[in-house]
Parts: sequence; structure tokens; C-alpha cells
Amino acid sequence: MALRGAWQLQKLIVSFSDWGGSSRGIRSFMESYLPVFKEKNPQLEVVTELIRGQHPHLKGFYKNKSERVVCVKNMDPEEVLQYATRLRNSLGRKVVKLKTRHVTKHPSVQGTWTTDVKF
Amino acid sequence: MFMANRRRLQVLTRHASALFSTNTTFQSLQTPPPLPIYQPLKTLTSKFPLIFTNPDPNWSQIRHVSSSRIGDVNEDNEHSEEEDDDDDDDDDDYYDDDEAVGDSEDESVSGCGSKREYTAEEKEAEAAAIGYQVIGPLQKSDRVFKPYEPVFAVLQIGSHQFKVSNGDCIFTERLKFCEVNDKLILNKVLLLGSSSQTIIGRPLLPDAAVHAVVEEHALDAKVIIFKKKRRKNYRRTKGHRQELTKLRIVDVQGIEKPEVPEKPPKAPGKKPEKVAVAA
Repeated sequence: MALRGAWQLQKLIVSFSDWGGSSRGIRSFMESYLPVFKEKNPQLEVVTELIRGQHPHLKGFYKNKSERVVCVKNMDPEEVLQYATRLRNSLGRKVVKLKTRHVTKHPSVQGTWTTDVKF
Repeated sequence: MFMANRRRLQVLTRHASALFSTNTTFQSLQTPPPLPIYQPLKTLTSKFPLIFTNPDPNWSQIRHVSSSRIGDVNEDNEHSEEEDDDDDDDDDDYYDDDEAVGDSEDESVSGCGSKREYTAEEKEAEAAAIGYQVIGPLQKSDRVFKPYEPVFAVLQIGSHQFKVSNGDCIFTERLKFCEVNDKLILNKVLLLGSSSQTIIGRPLLPDAAVHAVVEEHALDAKVIIFKKKRRKNYRRTKGHRQELTKLRIVDVQGIEKPEVPEKPPKAPGKKPEKVAVAA
């Protein structure tokens, strides 16, 4: 996501295994979708990492120093792409239940209503 | 006098419809002329705008109310509702209702396919129904993020309404056809206000627009749906994460913005103090 136009995801690690069956999807993702994804997101540093004997995952590092890991075992390349895009589209904030869907610094323009206000 | 005229017209139209109903092929085409009845009412309503007066001197200016409307369909429906105290014009209303039902059905059908391909026009139409319009990606050269202006708008996105001003963040249900960093125009504005005036739409303000930038497509926190029937050994849990879109409001247009005289005077006012303290 982009906060005031600045992309928050800085680094994406694509970890896979060249042998395991659960990495089949991510291997074809790296052939077909990853180059395009890299091109579309020049602000993003994409690193591939080979770890044998583990399920594949995506790991994102955000500007606010948080990181997010998504397991992508046994997924289709399309699903992997969806998760990668979702990492890119998010801000890296903690996932908490929203208290309000409207965040403002200036709650009232015409003055807060109280029982004393006479019209 | 006016009422008498109306009665006469109604009687006339009733006669006319009775005449036409004998001829079945004609009936579908027949529409009693509604205009002469509706027109005077319109002018009547527009002669008396809503004026808010206020003893408070800050508020004492006359509120401007926009009298223009958008959406001819809405207008007609409203007027027919206003006039339906008498038991006439039923034919018309039935036709209207049928059309409305047909429209909504079309929408639901088009909305249910999740993986269907949309053409550009369809995308635009659906976006307009929700209340936004995509302009394009935000360029680095764009200077859209401005300091706060004391102006607010009440706007509708989908079925939610928000009171926003410049610099606010709102979370809406996921907006389908926009990417992160796109610029949007939100055009379903219901009310505009500044510290001195308020503009109320009836129901919408056609000339107003709110500009926003898409900041995030993200998932909300997980909600657990738990079903249980007692004594039946039945328990189901299901997780759900709602997709949300975070928008940052960039600009509110359609109302004259008061100059921001408060802040610049304050800033100089503070600076001398600091200097004095430092000295």
C-alpha cells in the first residue's frame, strides 16, 4: 500500500524449494508471473531464496519495520500472485479490529454539538 | 382553484384510460399526461427553499440550498409519491415499479459472477452505482496532499455514508476496479459545509465532488462465525476476513473555502513568544 503516495512494502523474499512438491505452484509462479510483477513494481526489491526441505513462503518487509510472512504451499501460481499483490497492497500495520472506519484529526468543522447549543 | 383544475384533469385522464382500455393493444402505450399536474408543484416547492436562521452570530449567514437535482428517475418517483394521496395515476406507478425491479435484478445478476470479465463501460457503470470514478494512477509529480481546510462533506460510498474533510482516512468495503495509488472522484455528495455555510443536497449535490486516493487494499481482522445447536452435537466454526479499501480524502470541491486566517496569525503569534522565552 502506499501511504500518501509512498509505497510501504520495501522488500519481498520469495522462498521456495526446487525439489518439493508443495513448491510446484511457486516455481511456475516464478517463471510466469514474477518477472512481470517485478517490472510493475520498480519500487520493490524482490529476492528469491532457495530453501530445500521446507514449504515455500513469501516474506514482506515494510517501511515501518514490520514484516509479514505468508505460507504458499500447494498453491496455484495465480493464488501465489494474489498473495504477493496483497502483501504489496497492505501498509504493514498490525491486523487489529477496526474501532472506526473513519479516521480524522479534525472531528468537527462547525463545532461539536452539546446540549447547550441553541439553534 | 388549483385543486379543482386537478380534479378535472384526473377525471379527464380517467375517462381517457377507460376509453383506451377497450382497445387492448393501445393500453400498453397509453400513459396519461402527467406533466401539467406535476409542473405547478415543482415550482411551488422551489419557491420556498430551506433557510436556516441562527441566533449565533457566527452562524447567522443564510444557508444556501441547492435546488437543482440529479437523477430524473428519482425526481419523477418522488413527485408521484407526493401526489399519490389521491387514488389516481396508479397505472403510471405500476410501470415505474416494474422498471425499477427490472433494473435491480439486472444489477444483481451482473454482480454475482465473481470471475467474469468486465468491459470498461461496465466497470464505469458499476463504479458509478457505488459512487466513485477512477481517474488514474497517482504520479510522483502530483501535489495532491494539501493542508487541512475547514470544510466537510457527507458522502456516500455503496451503502455507507461518511462525514469527511480534507486529510481524513476512511475504510470502505473493497472497491473493485481500482488499484492502490489510484486517484478517485467520489461524486455522491449529500451535504457540504464550512464554518459559515451549509449546502444540503436533495438528495445529492450534482456539482460537488470529493477527491480521494486509494491507500490500501487489506483484510480486516478475522471474525469467527460460530454455530451451535444444543444437545445435537453440532458445532461449526468458520473464519471470515472482510476485504477493505482505505481511502485518503484529498480534496472537497463544490463549496467556497474560507481563507484559513486562523492558522497563519497563530503561527506568528507563537514564534515571538518562543523568541521571548529563548531570549
